[in-house]
Amino acid sequence: MNEHIDTTTEWVCDKCRQALVSQKVKVRYLDGNFEVDLLKCPTCQMVFISDELAMGKMLEVEKGLEDK
Amino acid sequence: MDLDQLLEISNQCIHSEPPVCVASCPVHMDVIAFVSEVEKGNFSGAYKMMESKIPLSRLIGKICDHPCETACVRSHAGGSIRIGELEKSVVTFGYSAPKKPLLLPKNKGNIVVIGGGLSGCVAAIELDKKGYKVALFEKSNRLGGRLWEYVSKGLEAREIEEELGMIEQKGIAVHYGVEVLEEDLPRYLETYDAIYLGARTWSKSYTVDPHSFQSEISALFIGGGIQNPNALMIESASSGKRAAVSIDRYITQSSMLASREREGVFETKLHYATDQVAPLASVPLIASIYSQDEATAEASRCLKCQCDACIKACVHMQRFSITPDSYIRSICHNERIVLGTRRANLMINSCTECGLCKAVCPVGIGMADIIHATRESMVKRNKMPLSAHDFVLKDMAFSQSDYFSLVRKQPSKEASKDLFYYPMIAFSAYARGLYKGSGKTGYLFYPGCQLSSTHTDYIGSIYKHLVGVIKEKDAMSDVGLFLGCCGAPADWAGRGDLMHDNVEKIRQTWEAEGRPTFILACSSCASTFAKYLPMIQTVSLWEIFDTYGLPEVDIKKGKRELCIHDACATRDNHKIHESIRNIVKTLGYSVQELEYSKEKTKCCGYGGLVACANPEQAEEFAADRICESDPDVLVYCAMCKDMLVKGNKRAYHILDIIYANEINQETPQKMPTLSDRQNNRKRLKRQLLKEIWNEEEEGAMDPTYDFALHISDEITALMEKRFILLGDVEKVVANSLSHQERFFNPKSSDYLARLRIQNVTYWVRYEESGRDITVKDAYMHRMEVVEG
Repeated sequence: MNEHIDTTTEWVCDKCRQALVSQKVKVRYLDGNFEVDLLKCPTCQMVFISDELAMGKMLEVEKGLEDK
Repeated sequence: MDLDQLLEISNQCIHSEPPVCVASCPVHMDVIAFVSEVEKGNFSGAYKMMESKIPLSRLIGKICDHPCETACVRSHAGGSIRIGELEKSVVTFGYSAPKKPLLLPKNKGNIVVIGGGLSGCVAAIELDKKGYKVALFEKSNRLGGRLWEYVSKGLEAREIEEELGMIEQKGIAVHYGVEVLEEDLPRYLETYDAIYLGARTWSKSYTVDPHSFQSEISALFIGGGIQNPNALMIESASSGKRAAVSIDRYITQSSMLASREREGVFETKLHYATDQVAPLASVPLIASIYSQDEATAEASRCLKCQCDACIKACVHMQRFSITPDSYIRSICHNERIVLGTRRANLMINSCTECGLCKAVCPVGIGMADIIHATRESMVKRNKMPLSAHDFVLKDMAFSQSDYFSLVRKQPSKEASKDLFYYPMIAFSAYARGLYKGSGKTGYLFYPGCQLSSTHTDYIGSIYKHLVGVIKEKDAMSDVGLFLGCCGAPADWAGRGDLMHDNVEKIRQTWEAEGRPTFILACSSCASTFAKYLPMIQTVSLWEIFDTYGLPEVDIKKGKRELCIHDACATRDNHKIHESIRNIVKTLGYSVQELEYSKEKTKCCGYGGLVACANPEQAEEFAADRICESDPDVLVYCAMCKDMLVKGNKRAYHILDIIYANEINQETPQKMPTLSDRQNNRKRLKRQLLKEIWNEEEEGAMDPTYDFALHISDEITALMEKRFILLGDVEKVVANSLSHQERFFNPKSSDYLARLRIQNVTYWVRYEESGRDITVKDAYMHRMEVVEG
């Protein structure tokens, strides 16, 4: 999960009308706990995950943890 | 799981068992590797193969009596491979003089070899290689003994001199013209650490162990002519080589006999069947030896005998390049890992547990039970990858929920009285069946979850037919209905806990209904009931159809040919095989039997939940099955149809032809999506309750939304691939609309929303236009993202 995540995006938070910022976010799965830089709304804290990230790197890490 | 017991099973696998040519060779030349090199035209490579096993290979290779040829299984299919002739060609075209030997320190001990015949020379060479200082005594003035009898009969004097000359070059002290006698032995025994006696004759006879060549004097080893006066040349060479091993073990004080059971000629467990092998004659020998081309052609006749029946039959073993012996070792390794990556998980979850390997294995090793036990062990230790079976287990829970699960007795006579009027009672067997209602459930029709999901609209008709035909012949037995899931997914997933609960519920229902006979329409149900509910009497729907008669449909003779794909779960159920064939023929079709059918049928790829755990592997199973058949395929398992149709093969469920719904040849076949399947189950329950029991389902269970979802075929396919249900997408969209929890892209005007449902976060990208929501992407992750 240490790979560089794209920190520029056109997406904005619909509720807060805020541009997303890159911040450390906690993610966890099974026995794995990580802190990674992800895009989120600075106001409501909603975290943005793209298709590429979810079905790419995240899936890979999930599978890796499942085999541990 | 008892891993030691498992390893014992792996030892029984004969995949690595040597072919009979190797087993009958006293020095175990790797004939297959040798022949393969010749086939490639690599004569020097082939010579290296000879050199590594045959002592003095340049000479022996030309005069060997080749006992391997007598044993060769090709002898029954055109004639044995002429291995002896191949060796001659290889020596001629592939020999290269060995590099000058390195003179290593010889400090392991002092050995004397008496007799410079073939076995003595070989023993001396082998002991020298092992680091002993060797003295060789020969009574004549030259080494080689019987080898000289072959001058002009296969060997040239020059070759013999060159090869045996190497012995002295290696640093072995050769003493010519010295005859050692029995009375000299005590002196030699004092001077040397061990003696190898390889003379042709000897004045005293000793007792010699046939395996170790050790005599009653422990430092005296005897081989060659004394031990076997009629030995073939290769046997003499073998005795010298094996005696050298014994001498080394004697001096290093290691076990004399451990792991030596198969030295020399032995019986292999591999019995390679040649009944399917097309005969092919040997390449005739035109000149004194084969030319390179002739040798290559002759080598290509070799069958490379190896037991690979299971691998040939199973795309799973092919995909992972594995055989039962190595598979079991991988499982044991995987099970023993405490910290680290369990690399065999995916493989273990890619077996369909179909049982074909056992059906084709000459020694009866089957992976299905082993894989099942392994998965159970993984679950118990909390090491089963969650994502492998999560979707299917949730789907099973859906089937067990009130959305689908249903038990009903046959509608009572009282409740059905509206049907008892003319002409209904005269023309409807169903109405007559209801009229004869006894109140005692003799049969419970159990269509299963998957058939109900994909062939929903047949279930009601089948039920009515069953009531009609069964009551006609057995007025006492009412026919009830039981919708549910047998638990096969839990069984495949290794979830013994879920399986136990499910089986118990079914058993209780059976007891509560007065122990009726279950009529099963699904192959997996049949297998699950046989395994876990042996107390329940079952009969397949197909046997009922075959015995009691088919629903009335338009039967025309002379329809086309179909090939029957038997369901792997019914591998051993001959009654089902027979009744299916009877029905197909009754309906006027002709049957083409596949190579792998009935007890040797192949899995469609759904078995073992492979379609969920490793979709690519599942597709390979389907593709493998599809390429076996030319005509359209007839199946009697809903999942088989699904897998084959998805692989672009035209396939019919037997119900399709029974109810004459054989789709127009031009129309592409389509199977319901995962979401359709859940909706179909809900719909079926609702419809049956209404139509047959005149009941309205209590409470509308489906949520309603004030938006209309539009999903293209492309996105539907993506959702299928990612195991995302329409209901999940709806929940994400609904949540995003009501809480405005979503991202917005000002450039594309798309919205992107997420919602965590149980242990999965689903994401949906959509376009909103009034109440129309057009889905543009859907994806998911299991990882939990902590917001806030």
